[in-house]
Amino acid sequence: MADAIKAENRKGFLVDTSRCIGCRSCQVACKQWNKMAADKTVEQGSYENPRDLTPALYNRIRFLEVGEEPGGVNWLFLNERCMHCGEAGCMKVCPSPGALYRTKEGVVAYNKEKCISCKYCVSACPFNVPRYDSDDKVSKCHLCLDRLSGGMPPACAKACPTGTLKFGKRSDLIADAQATGKQLYGVNDLGGLGVVYALEGPPERYGLPATPHIPLSIFLWKDVIKPLGILGFWGSIGAMLLHYVTIGPKKIDEAPEKEERHE
Amino acid sequence: MSNYIERFTAGERVLHWIVTASFFTLLLSGLGLFSRLFNGYFTLFGGGGNAIMVHKIAGIVFFFSSLYMFLKHRRDVSTFDEDDRRWIEQRGGYLSREEAHFNIGKYNPGQKLFAIFIAAATLILGVTGLFIWAPTLFPRWIVQLSLMIHGLMFVGTVMFVVVHVYLATIGNPGTIEAMLYGDVRSMWAKRHHPKWYKEASGENP
Repeated sequence: MADAIKAENRKGFLVDTSRCIGCRSCQVACKQWNKMAADKTVEQGSYENPRDLTPALYNRIRFLEVGEEPGGVNWLFLNERCMHCGEAGCMKVCPSPGALYRTKEGVVAYNKEKCISCKYCVSACPFNVPRYDSDDKVSKCHLCLDRLSGGMPPACAKACPTGTLKFGKRSDLIADAQATGKQLYGVNDLGGLGVVYALEGPPERYGLPATPHIPLSIFLWKDVIKPLGILGFWGSIGAMLLHYVTIGPKKIDEAPEKEERHE
Repeated sequence: MSNYIERFTAGERVLHWIVTASFFTLLLSGLGLFSRLFNGYFTLFGGGGNAIMVHKIAGIVFFFSSLYMFLKHRRDVSTFDEDDRRWIEQRGGYLSREEAHFNIGKYNPGQKLFAIFIAAATLILGVTGLFIWAPTLFPRWIVQLSLMIHGLMFVGTVMFVVVHVYLATIGNPGTIEAMLYGDVRSMWAKRHHPKWYKEASGENP
């Protein structure tokens, strides 16, 4: 793992979807603490609002209406945000050191001043989370880094009235949830997600990938093409030098009569 | 017989050096984007943001000048004859110290294949570059694939260019003059491109 996190320091969420009532206190508290303006939305026949993460919306509740046995509908709520992956695709591709960085709590944080607007993180995220703001800088959940450093939980977890969003030491939250027999999502995927879910049903039902991973082409780019390419570059230079000292150049300063032999 | 013969006109030479200059600008501005290992190259442009801007401008120059260069020479570089086949079979004589002579026209098959590869790479790098330029306008899978292919073609192009520079300079003494002053020595032309020399000079070597 490129960016090793100490398990005993790692903080995270446990999101127990069975407790969520879709009140969106988390959305509102996040907006308030991070001083972000409201996004203009459109009524589209769903309580889900806004319909996607935006540069000014770091977390939101995904509303899912899932048809069950004849006539029945199951209404599912999923808190959606940056997962703070242990092996983060965004950090893997970011070409600007310090633009995306790991805190000692395991948070994938960012510094907009160092962001160079390449948007590679947008393509490399396994969960399609990072957004770009009007200044063309990266924008996403940073786990209320400022609150965290003051010993406070993130605004969303503080505001959650039902205990859906539990924040704390990651290993403790996982151990507690496993002790009650819950099936967890994200314990080991991608070096362990910073947001672990206790879901009611398979992850696909919530629109989550069953086995989250860094996109294949991003993996090939960074872990195959990059090292082989550097090797290939020096290899081709080495091959040319070797050719020069072994076989040698094609000289033209020969006796003219030899040249006359053409055709 | 004259000691020199014109191989490239002034216009062809200038075009080649425009392609070269934009290529190396792209290389230097793109290295930091290829990997954090090369982050230091950003400082040449005053930071990553500027490097991206330079990369985009140089990309436009390279895309059009490189394709134009190929189209100008497309007839010479896209047809292969019997003598070319013999050259390919013997790898142009490059893998042996033995004297090898081939009745080659203006370009040998290696040069032709290099020209075709660079034209194809220009197209692919240009199209994938466009997706990477504005990733939020396109489906994620297209941009992800483009990032990979852009990196792959970059690596391939750089490796071919290393070979190109070697063969055009120390590998074949006398060759670089064609791109500097335009004239090559008759001796050089008879040795490397006898068929072309015969046509261009009207002389039977």
